[in-house]
Amino acid sequence: MSLNRSFFVPIDSPLHRLNPLTKLTFVFAMIISAFLSVPDMAPALAVLVLLTGFIGKVQRQYRTVLLKLILPAILFMFVMQSVFLPGGETILIQVGRFDVARENVRAAFLTVSRVFVMVSSFAILLLTTHPSKLMADLTRRGLPPQLAYVIISTLQILPQMQAKAQTILSAQRSRGLDTESTFLKRVRAIVPLVGPLVFGSLVEVEERAIAIEARGFTSPRAKTFLYEVPDTRADRLIRWTLVIFTLLSLAARIWLS
Amino acid sequence: MRIEIKDLHFTYPSGVQALRGISLTIESGEQVAIIGQNGAGKTTLARHLNGLLQPTSGEVRIGYWDTRRYSTAKLAARVGYVFQNPDEQLFSRDVHMEVAFGPKNLGYPKERVEALVSEALEMTDLLQKRETNPYDLSPTWRKMVAIASVIAMDTPIVIFDEPTTGQDAATIERIANVIRVLRERGKTILTITHDMDFCAENFERVIVMSQGQVLLDGKANDVLGQEEILATTYVEPPQLTRLGKRLGFKETVRNEEEFLTALQKRWRI
Ligand SMILES: Nc1ncnc2c1ncn2[C@@H]1O[C@H](COP(=O)(O)OP(=O)(O)OP(=O)(O)O)[C@@H](O)[C@H]1O
Ligand SMILES: [Mg+2]
Repeated sequence: MSLNRSFFVPIDSPLHRLNPLTKLTFVFAMIISAFLSVPDMAPALAVLVLLTGFIGKVQRQYRTVLLKLILPAILFMFVMQSVFLPGGETILIQVGRFDVARENVRAAFLTVSRVFVMVSSFAILLLTTHPSKLMADLTRRGLPPQLAYVIISTLQILPQMQAKAQTILSAQRSRGLDTESTFLKRVRAIVPLVGPLVFGSLVEVEERAIAIEARGFTSPRAKTFLYEVPDTRADRLIRWTLVIFTLLSLAARIWLS
Repeated sequence: MRIEIKDLHFTYPSGVQALRGISLTIESGEQVAIIGQNGAGKTTLARHLNGLLQPTSGEVRIGYWDTRRYSTAKLAARVGYVFQNPDEQLFSRDVHMEVAFGPKNLGYPKERVEALVSEALEMTDLLQKRETNPYDLSPTWRKMVAIASVIAMDTPIVIFDEPTTGQDAATIERIANVIRVLRERGKTILTITHDMDFCAENFERVIVMSQGQVLLDGKANDVLGQEEILATTYVEPPQLTRLGKRLGFKETVRNEEEFLTALQKRWRI
């Protein structure tokens, strides 16, 4: 099984060409501003992130992530918060025994915007940045390689688990396990799957640790880099802009409230 | 049980055209070897036979079942498929559970499951290892577990995807024996292999694939004799066959018996 599984979409686009640190700065600038600045900022940032997602030529993949992953989660949160948050004066409608208050809908909208900014900006980073390049760049800037390894494995673990689950499901179906027809059967099919999935992942982690050790991972010598990651003047400009933007948005919070 | 494949095309989502128009009929009880270079599409073809992959166009019939209309779980009652990579096939805690998984799913009564499991374990020499976790076995033994877990399902069709790769002589003999036993029971057997000696010694019909198409299909001796065509898909006939050719034998030979008979015939003249 390929070790390079990740969300990354291997094409060329303006977002792909940006230095990884620039995109990472973008992610954190957006998250910090959305959570810590004045409340009204979050929805505006959500729109900004959404538009950014459509700059790269990854619209198709971005849309898939949006529709399949982010939107369902967010809708669920929105409904739950609107309906179940207690208090609130201006009642809009009633759902069963619960009152939906205007204040709560507003709060829910805010939370949802924040979560959207967080998840969506990360998705953009992951879709347009090869994990190895991200880590090469950060390691070059002084991140300990051990930490880089931990981060990179974490980024890869979800798609890897997914692929592995698919493989095991194929194997089980080939031996007569009905995983397709009814919901109950699906649930029953998952039970025998959990063990091998976790166990297989553990075995994989150990094997990978041995493999990288055999290739001198902990060697104390100064290491060279396989990837040249360009860092242009534009990158630096964007990064500084983002930093200043974040500072201003924090300042706005202090002065305006 | 009969396998019928009509003008089968398959393209992977990545855009690789793995199969480009395969038409084949394999009769009930036939033993067929499929050979051909890496990437020829052999595994892709095998995965169509139990519905793990669905044709992009064309059709596959197992008995009278069209694989598009039956789930893999249903087809499993007819087609047992030993994966090329046992690591993609095994998932249970111990060998016994692994081997019993298939027959249990097929709904056989308890005694029959136990009988089938014991028999499969015996045929593959795994009786001593029935309590072991498959992950603690060497890759070669994991392959045997994969084989046992499929033959225990007692399906009319059995597919082996490269069963002998990386195995020592004793294990290859064990696998050949499994195939012999299945043949006596009238099973239809498809074996994908790069092991030309194994192919020559155990199969009467040989199909050669190249770039998603069938290059040659016929009696083992006829196919293995076509050295030039085989070379286009990087297949070399067995050594004895090539030696027979060099010695100028009129007929193609593929095993020791045939070689010796041909040699004696020559000497008498
Ligand atoms: N999951 C997949 N996704 C995309 N392409 C694939 C996939 N699996 C196989 N292929 C491609 O399809 C073609 C046929 O592959 P296949 O595995 O069927 O060949 P094979 O004859 O079994 O080869 P081998 O002898 O190496 O096992 C190859 O070009 C391969 O790269
Ligand atoms: Mg193969």
